[in-house]
Amino acid sequence: MHEPSGLPMILSFLRKGSETENVNNHDNGTNSIHHKIGHKHGEGFSIDFYAYNSRIRNWNSGFKVLFPILVLILCTVLDNPYVSTVIIAAMAYLTVIKGGLPVHEYLSIMSIPITFIVISVFAIAVDFSKQPVGQYNLYLGLGYMLTSQAMIKRAGFLILKVFAAVSALQMMALSTPSSEIISVLEKAHVPKIIVELMNIIYRYIFILTDLSINMKNSAESRQGYCDFKTSCYTFGNIAGNILVISLKKANAYYDAMEARCYDGDLVFLQEDKRVDRMQVALAAAFIAALFLIWGFTS
Amino acid sequence: MRKTILEVKDLHYAYGNGKPALNGVSVNIHEGERIAVMGANGSGKSTFFLNLNGVFTPDRGEIVYRDTPVNKKNLNELRKNIGIVFQDADNQIIASTVLAEVGFGPMNLKLPKAEVLERVDEALEYMNILDFKDRAPHYLSGGEKKRVSIADIIAMRSEIIIFDEPMAALDPINASMLEEVLSKLGSEGKTMLISTHDVDFAYRWAERVLVFCQGKIIADGTPLEIFLNNEILRQANLKQPTLLEFYDLLVEKRILEDEEIYPKSMREFNEIL
Repeated sequence: MHEPSGLPMILSFLRKGSETENVNNHDNGTNSIHHKIGHKHGEGFSIDFYAYNSRIRNWNSGFKVLFPILVLILCTVLDNPYVSTVIIAAMAYLTVIKGGLPVHEYLSIMSIPITFIVISVFAIAVDFSKQPVGQYNLYLGLGYMLTSQAMIKRAGFLILKVFAAVSALQMMALSTPSSEIISVLEKAHVPKIIVELMNIIYRYIFILTDLSINMKNSAESRQGYCDFKTSCYTFGNIAGNILVISLKKANAYYDAMEARCYDGDLVFLQEDKRVDRMQVALAAAFIAALFLIWGFTS
Repeated sequence: MRKTILEVKDLHYAYGNGKPALNGVSVNIHEGERIAVMGANGSGKSTFFLNLNGVFTPDRGEIVYRDTPVNKKNLNELRKNIGIVFQDADNQIIASTVLAEVGFGPMNLKLPKAEVLERVDEALEYMNILDFKDRAPHYLSGGEKKRVSIADIIAMRSEIIIFDEPMAALDPINASMLEEVLSKLGSEGKTMLISTHDVDFAYRWAERVLVFCQGKIIADGTPLEIFLNNEILRQANLKQPTLLEFYDLLVEKRILEDEEIYPKSMREFNEIL
């Protein structure tokens, strides 16, 4: 794992090595033989990990959820390349400078949406025809692939817009742990059953992932993946086993909850983080600035 | 004579498959007792604990808490006063931050938020993990999770704390840290029940040992009474603590005179020598 610079506590925690089974497991998840596609598989975890260690984690979570969403909406509605550029820069500033996420990690997390954006925008930027029309064309044997400056420009603006939207949401995801986002949803009167399910599912993701990593490792150590056929069998067995164990765990969980006086109403203690008026003022100024830019440039 | 907190009378409990897990268990638990619960795997210890706490409803028998028989209505009173630290912390930790996790019990007691926060702080400080507050349980190590799961119960301020195999899967440093916490709790007069397979630990820590075998308590006495009784040890898949074995060996080889002062710790052993 790359060493985040401003997080001495977490670092010492990571360095404890063998003792920190959990963290190690997640690392294994990213690097083990079955996850050779790079950091994509571990990405969900690393975002969660960075969210817990963000320096702006102590900001009011309602603010951190509402602000990016507002920015996201503005970015889509205003539809202006300058606005998008400013949003990209501002969100990167918040995440990297304020949040203390290493630039390298930020780029590596952003590289995944960028790939998707570029591939999908390519389809918009080019057209096909039997005749050599358009400003630029390329003969491909069966016909012509063509594009024009206007199309390229439109595609470029689209990339900017989508990228700005993504970076606004990433700012939220990289600074607010899921449990806090869920509590914001709860305050926004999302039905209780959904909020409770989200809480339990979120916790369970980690428990079941650990379980599956352990089972995979033990299968691997017994030649469970020696050829394709065996791999398929092993995969099926592990999947079945995870189902059985998750049912067992659900029972054990329920017992443990009842033992602590659970009576059908799942309530978690949340620390109130006060809304910083300065932050709200700055956010309002930022949004006003977006409108100004839009007004001047369109 | 110390006051009786909990009276268990002729408890029977069978799981869904009809196999009886508890087969007539009767025991009285007094204030401030340090009880080790021993017995082979599957002898009914965990089932007994879950019955004590009211999670399982016994098929037959009665639990009397502070002179009031427990029924459906006052069940929460029982759960409030008897806390269980489960063997696998991952089966107990439910929330996504340590703060919310330790606050889960007190929140369920419907306490005002200020008091919940105060209790959480106190419990975290007790376990020396105040700086864990904002961390996520899934990024903690096994030993750290165990400490959180103990803080869970301390925050509930229950009268009796039950530990289900707390030493399992802990490294020696974490295990000795846990023992310190146990003696600290003991010195504050908390009543504790600990199930364990570690005969050496039970011998030096407990003042009373309950031995389970096939859903029954087959012995109930001081550690010495239990560990000097070979018949019970054999029945319950136990063995003698190392110190006792040593002592016997030294007496047998006539290095030591048998004065029947059995040492409880290495220090006491040293004094005898």
